[in-house]
Amino acid sequence: MKIYQVALKEIGKRKMRTIYTSFGIAVAVSMLISVMITASSGQKEVFNVIARYGHSLTIQPVDTKSAQSLKNFGIGTGSYIPETALPDILEVYQKAIVSGWEKMGALIFQEGTMGMGGAAFPPPTFAPRLYEETTIKNKDVIVGGVVLEKELIARFWWDIDEGKFMDKDDEVIIGRLFAALTQTKVGEVLDVGNTKMTVSGILRETDSPDDYMVFTSLKSCQMIFNKQGKISMINVRAMCPKCPVGEAAVEINKKVLGVRATSQMEIATAQSQIFQKTTALIVSFVVASLIISCIGVFNIIMGAIHGRMREIGLLKALGASRNQLVRFFMYEAILIGITGGVIGFALGGALSHIVGPILFKDIVIQVTPRYLVIAVLLGTVASIVASIYPALYASKIRVTDAFKSL
Amino acid sequence: MIDIHDIWKIYDVGGEKIEALREISLKIDRGSFISIVGHSGSGKTTLLSILGGLTKPTRGSVSIDGTDIWSMNDKELSSLRNQKIGFIFQFSSLIPTLSAIDNVALPVIYGSPERRHNWKAVYEYAEELLSTLGLKHKLKAFPSELSGGQQRRVAIARAFINKPAIIVADEPTGDLDSQSESDVMEFFSKTNEQYQTTFLLVTHNLALARMTDKVHNMKDGMLIQPNNGGSPS
Repeated sequence: MKIYQVALKEIGKRKMRTIYTSFGIAVAVSMLISVMITASSGQKEVFNVIARYGHSLTIQPVDTKSAQSLKNFGIGTGSYIPETALPDILEVYQKAIVSGWEKMGALIFQEGTMGMGGAAFPPPTFAPRLYEETTIKNKDVIVGGVVLEKELIARFWWDIDEGKFMDKDDEVIIGRLFAALTQTKVGEVLDVGNTKMTVSGILRETDSPDDYMVFTSLKSCQMIFNKQGKISMINVRAMCPKCPVGEAAVEINKKVLGVRATSQMEIATAQSQIFQKTTALIVSFVVASLIISCIGVFNIIMGAIHGRMREIGLLKALGASRNQLVRFFMYEAILIGITGGVIGFALGGALSHIVGPILFKDIVIQVTPRYLVIAVLLGTVASIVASIYPALYASKIRVTDAFKSL
Repeated sequence: MIDIHDIWKIYDVGGEKIEALREISLKIDRGSFISIVGHSGSGKTTLLSILGGLTKPTRGSVSIDGTDIWSMNDKELSSLRNQKIGFIFQFSSLIPTLSAIDNVALPVIYGSPERRHNWKAVYEYAEELLSTLGLKHKLKAFPSELSGGQQRRVAIARAFINKPAIIVADEPTGDLDSQSESDVMEFFSKTNEQYQTTFLLVTHNLALARMTDKVHNMKDGMLIQPNNGGSPS
């Protein structure tokens, strides 16, 4: 028999007290664990979206003539990038990305394929667009010429509400808002720059300028508006979570004259920082609740010690030193902490399954054994912290105070 | 072996000084079998507590084998209580969460590491002690499953588990029927003869006191000259 076995028997016999004490710890641990699981799963979801759809980079001519509000969305007309510049831009981009990867210690698997942590990422998608202003059904509108298969990668949120995407050069798709304002239906023939184009589909609402645009193939757009070999902007989507697109933007701006590359990485980073700060704030509240739990546990243990004065005095009379008594109570604290941690992990896991989907749409909650370790450690540390003073207090109890009969 | 010299114990109760013990001096040889009798509040339990290393005297010294126990640090004093002194308290003093045999073996976990390495021998001895005291059939019983007398016998067995040189017992047979009392006293007597264990019993029971070699009478915190031959002064 060892001291910890006596503590174990004590805990086993005093089940209700153990449950009360452990539950105090479990509640706080479960909150902390659920926040951690939800935050981590949420962040993973963000990364998964980035991994799935990549980071975005917009390349436009420097002197784009358009309304400022549209320029912010990368839409400008009247200034062009020659299609022949695309290979140069691609080369600068690739070199910058490779250099960025190398700085991060990533591996270059093969030309155009990079990866980190054993995962390979596909090369980026360059989706060129040509914007031209025209009038359709007495409404001024911008016609966008796109390479559909690339556009569907770059604008992964695109979906067809009615009809289908265009698959012929004489077809267009139109934004939902334009369709509503001009009362245009699928199958209707529109006059686009003096060319008859059939509406093959209507885009689902995107809450972007696309909703009030008309799209056709790049080739058709160039033909209609006589802008062969010209594009208005390139949307680059890097299909990896940590692609150094910011560096690529800097390099393109430095080395390719007449264009301006803007990375959306900064926006994503800022959003990520806000997310992390919000998580930190929540964690700090939860840590405060853990401290309150510690105070609760402290009270329970102090109460238990007062109830066990005679027992403590007896242990001292039987030869338990102060150190051994402190150890005895610490073992009890550890066992209570472990119990609280395990219960807290289970509750926290369940809670994150409830809270996670409320906070993040389509979140996949990942409860890994790592959180069990964290929960048990947290519970144990909290229990030990709450028990230190009571244990020291117990060790200082005088035998005669414990046994008033002696 | 035990040298109690000029012990005073003064309690401060609400500003009033209460002299629980006054000027107590006593020498107890190894293997002595003595009892202390006296009315309630005469100070006999306080004296037992001081020489057992449980209560610090206000003044005076207690030496066991030449060492002043009240100059020891916590670790040394704990070790002394564990190794040299076996306590039998006048109230139920078992750990409620441990079985009878675990209660008996309990002091060993606070003792020397050598002893803790041989739990088989410890438990065999604990079983032997409980069997001697008529509790062989209650080894695994918890205190709540034992009568007051059975609990007292478990506590007595526990006092002997570390084979101490001194047994201090406060009303050791308080909860026992006459047969059990007789058995316990016989066990004390045999142990005293066999191992030269020193016994200090505090009791109200004069018949019990008469079974000891020397009876000390206490009154108002002072020792009255003892009678030899088992009769209190």
